[in-house]
Amino acid sequence: MASSQSVKRVVKEVKPILSLDREEARQRVLNLYKAWHRQLSYIVKQYDIPKNQEQCRQKLREQFTKYDEIKDIRLIDMLVIKGQMELKEVVNMWKQKGHIMTYFKDTVEPKPQDFLSKFLSGKD
Amino acid sequence: MSLLRQLLHRNVGVRTLNNSVCRNKVRFLTTAAPEVTRETRRKKLIRVDKKEKYPVVSSDECFALLYTFKRTLELRYIQLHPAPGSTVRKSDEVARGQLKDFGKYVAECLPKYVQTVQITAGDEIEILITPEGVLPVLQFLKDHHSAQFSNLIDIAGMDVPSRPYRFEIIYNLLSLRFNSRIRVKTYTDELTPVESCNDIYKAANWYEREIWDMYGVFFSNHPDLRRILTDYGFEGHPFRKDFPLSGYVEVRYDDEKKRVVLEPLELAQEFRRFELSAPWEQFPNFRNAHPAAETVETEEKGKK
Repeated sequence: MASSQSVKRVVKEVKPILSLDREEARQRVLNLYKAWHRQLSYIVKQYDIPKNQEQCRQKLREQFTKYDEIKDIRLIDMLVIKGQMELKEVVNMWKQKGHIMTYFKDTVEPKPQDFLSKFLSGKD
Repeated sequence: MSLLRQLLHRNVGVRTLNNSVCRNKVRFLTTAAPEVTRETRRKKLIRVDKKEKYPVVSSDECFALLYTFKRTLELRYIQLHPAPGSTVRKSDEVARGQLKDFGKYVAECLPKYVQTVQITAGDEIEILITPEGVLPVLQFLKDHHSAQFSNLIDIAGMDVPSRPYRFEIIYNLLSLRFNSRIRVKTYTDELTPVESCNDIYKAANWYEREIWDMYGVFFSNHPDLRRILTDYGFEGHPFRKDFPLSGYVEVRYDDEKKRVVLEPLELAQEFRRFELSAPWEQFPNFRNAHPAAETVETEEKGKK
């Protein structure tokens, strides 16, 4: 009795957001990636950013591989939805140059990693 | 004599002995006279004149007596009206009964979706439903001939992180036909989508976008779900309880780059624990207020 209850608790039925299985979720991610990839040349032209298409491509790849470890289908779907919304904001020029440049983090100073740089920056 | 005059003004029925400005003796009319008991007589607060029918007191004693008398009147008033001078709205028993009946009827019609029907704040009806039932319940409330809740006033969200389904979605409906309001509540978590009710109420479009923006609850089949209140480039959902006060990103003008830059922000923030209890009573006027929620017994509950 107790074991069946614990099994019930572990296997929880959830409502899918968009995708029903991993393959479908993967396909959605790939489609989003392709859509962004196709948009890159326009982004470089329209937003007048000091980056070329190759750098943008690298950044795009980095943005997607950042979430490599995520295996939950619903989490993947949610990220795809948010990515799709961001793409729409970019395509419709709702975002501005500053928002695009935010991906490159060119003003952010890297966090101190080793002991000496932590000591010099005055942070523990 | 101001106290006396005050009482006269309230038709208490105090009259001076000779019906003029008498400063010595005051006679009480029987209707409002304080009780002549053995105790009052022993304390010589009231002397009963043998010839007179009414108790007679001297003016010195009169004030103390009148004051206690006024106090008893006030107390009686308080007993009759449970919350004196409070801001608690009194609820109409008949209207309450009707709301309860309507709640029972809805629960009988949609037993699959309605979990609880409750009355809150005295005379507001709330229907707690499962997330699958959003569309059927709203459609029912909108189209049923004796409901006709044709206006969606607002959709609100609520975040209680300790619950298994942390978000609550609250639909406020108005029936112009019956001058009545109803609240429909459902629940969800970060990753469970809720059906968009845009097809039933056109007003839901922006409200659902607000919920999506503030809480990150995804509404499936929404025609145009995107941010509405936050700025482009903003990260996170600000009405979530775990959203830090400073947010995740910071915006500033960079003089070198000659543009506005967004930077990730990390500020140390103490774990906030709010201690809300206090040794004193904070809302004495609400001492007699209605219970927060009063569950209506539905058919389903009665069987169990």
